[in-house]
Amino acid sequence: MKRTDVDEILRDALREEVSGAQPYLDELEERIVVELGERRPRLRAIDWIRQLAAPTRSARFGQLVVVGATAAAFLIVGLFASQFFEQQSGLPTGGGIRLETAQEARSGLQDVLFVVPAPLAASTVVVVGDFNDWEATPLTDEDGDGIWTTTIPLSPGRYEYGYLIDGRWWGEDPRADEYIQSFGEYSSVRYVGRGGEGV
Amino acid sequence: MTRLEIRVALWAFLSVVLIGGIACAMVPFGAIEEALCCIHLEQAERILAAIQLGYGQEGFPSDDVLRLVERLVENPSSSGEKESILLILAMALENGLPVDGLLSKVFEGLARGVPLSQIGIGLQQRLILLTQVRDLFLDKRIFVVPSGSAQSIPSALPIPRFNELLTNIADVVGDHLEGGGSARDGHALYEEVEKRLTALQGVTLLQADVELVLDRIEPADLTRVALAAVS
Amino acid sequence: MYRVQDEVSLLRASLEGETEAWGEIISRYKDAVFGLCIGFLRNRADAEDITHDAFIRAYVNLRRYNVDKRFSTWIFTIAANLCRNRLRYRKNHPVGEMPIHLSGGTDPARALEQEERCDRVRAALGRLPYAYRAPLVLRFYNDLAYREISEILAIPEGTVKTRIHRGKAMLKEVMENREERDQA
Repeated sequence: MKRTDVDEILRDALREEVSGAQPYLDELEERIVVELGERRPRLRAIDWIRQLAAPTRSARFGQLVVVGATAAAFLIVGLFASQFFEQQSGLPTGGGIRLETAQEARSGLQDVLFVVPAPLAASTVVVVGDFNDWEATPLTDEDGDGIWTTTIPLSPGRYEYGYLIDGRWWGEDPRADEYIQSFGEYSSVRYVGRGGEGV
Repeated sequence: MTRLEIRVALWAFLSVVLIGGIACAMVPFGAIEEALCCIHLEQAERILAAIQLGYGQEGFPSDDVLRLVERLVENPSSSGEKESILLILAMALENGLPVDGLLSKVFEGLARGVPLSQIGIGLQQRLILLTQVRDLFLDKRIFVVPSGSAQSIPSALPIPRFNELLTNIADVVGDHLEGGGSARDGHALYEEVEKRLTALQGVTLLQADVELVLDRIEPADLTRVALAAVS
Repeated sequence: MYRVQDEVSLLRASLEGETEAWGEIISRYKDAVFGLCIGFLRNRADAEDITHDAFIRAYVNLRRYNVDKRFSTWIFTIAANLCRNRLRYRKNHPVGEMPIHLSGGTDPARALEQEERCDRVRAALGRLPYAYRAPLVLRFYNDLAYREISEILAIPEGTVKTRIHRGKAMLKEVMENREERDQA
C-alpha cells in the first residue's frame, strides 16, 4: 500500500462521487419544496385570523379598527370553525399525513409502526427482530407520556421481533399478527404483505 | 498502450468488477479466520473447513457469519459453549443446509441475553429439523437443481426456493415444539405449516412451490420429523 | 431568502409549515446525506432516491425531532435506515447495478496512479458488507465521532471502532489483491 492512507483515498473518492452528482444535488431543495408545497392543505381559518390580528404601525385608532374587525371575523368564522377544521389535515405538526415516498411506490416497502406503552421510568426501549438482524432499533418517547414509538419501512415478508425495555424482553406486542414461543418466552410476529399492511 | 487505452481498459475492467462486486458483497474468508483466532477452539480446522465449504454455496451469508463470530468473541461465556454453537453451524454447512435460520436464532438469543448453552440446545434441535425436512423433501421427490440450469420438472427447484421452503417448514415445526406442542400431533403441525406457507405465498414464496409442498406432504410426515427432533 | 440563519430557527420555522426554511436546511445537509447514501448503497440512482426520501420523511416527522439533540444525527439516522432497507430489498430483488460514473472529464494534471487508487478503493468499498462499509463512510466521509456513528447505526461504540479497524484492513486487502492482479 502506498504512503497515502486508505482513509484519505476513500475520502477523496467519495467526495468525487458527490461532486459528480452536483447537477442532481443543485436542484434538490427546489424539487422537495415544490413537492411538499403541492401536498400542503389550504390555510386554516386560524391563519387568516392571525394575519388580520397582526398590529399595524398606524395610529391607535387603526389598531382598534383591526382588533374590532378581527373580533367580528372571529364570530362569523367561529360558526363554521368546527366543520372547517375537520376537513383539514395537519401539517407536520399533525401526524396524519401519509406520504408515499418515491421509494415506497417503487419498492413496495410499507411503514410499520411499533408502539410500546412502557413504564414511565423506562430509559431505553428498543425493538429487535428479523428486520434489523436482531440489532437494536431504538424507540422514542418525545413527549414523555410513556408511549414509545418508531416506524420502520419493511418489505413484504414475515418478521419475528420483540422489545427490550431497559434490557428486559417483552414479546407480547398487542399489535402483532401472531405469537410464538421462543427461548421459553413469547415472541411477536408480523406479516407485511403486498399492498397494505398485514396479509 | 497509450494512457487513454489504459484508462479505457481499466474502466471496462472496473465496471465489470463493480457490477459483480456490488452484487455479491462477500467478506473475505481471511477476515472470518482472523476473527476466529480470538476464540480458543479444539476443532478449529473443522470449523474453518466447513466455513470454506459455505463459500462455495449459493447465498452463503458470509457477513452474518463474521458478525456471529464477533458477537461470540465479545460474549463472556466459556469457549466450550462458543465452540458448540460454531460446531452446529459447521455441521449444517458440511451437509449443505441453509444456515440463515440458524444464524437468526443465535442473533435473537444473543440480543435477548439468553445463555449460550440454552441457545445451543435450541440450535441443535433446529439443525435436526433442517436435516429431517430435507430428507423428507427428497423422499417426496422434491429436488434441487443447480443454479443456471433450466427447471426441467416442477418439483426440481432452484436452490434459493428450495432453501426458503426448507427453512420455513423446519422453523414451523421448531416453533411448534418450543411452544409445547406435541410431536405426535401431525394434524396441528400440518395446519401450522399450511398457515405459514400460505401467508408467505406470493410474498416470499411462489404459489406453485407452496402448492407442490402442501400437496405432497402429509401430517404423518411432519410427526416423523418432529419426533426425530425430540428423541 | 431567510435572514435568520440559525439552524434551530430554521427548524422551528419548518415545523410551522414554512417549506422555504426546510429548503435552507436541505441545502446545508444535502451533500452530507447524499455522500452517506452513495457510500452505503454504491448505486447512484438509489442514492438519489434515498436522499430525496430522507428529506421528505424528515420533514413529515419533524415534530418527533428533539431540538435539543443534534440535527445531523437525526437526519443521518433516517438516511441510514432507509439505505439499510433498500439494501435488504435489493437482496431479494437484485437489479443490474449501475457502475458509478463520474461527471465530465478527469483532471489531466492528476496523476494516473492517484486516479487508479481512487478507482480501486471504490471497487473495494462495494465489496465490503454493509456492516463494515457504513461505519467507514460515516467516519471518513462524514467525519463523525465514534459516539455519533454509534447513535446513527445503533451499535455500541466499541463495535464501531472494531468495524472501522477491520473495514480498513479489508479495504486494504482487497485493494492490494487488485493491485497485484493489475500488475501481473
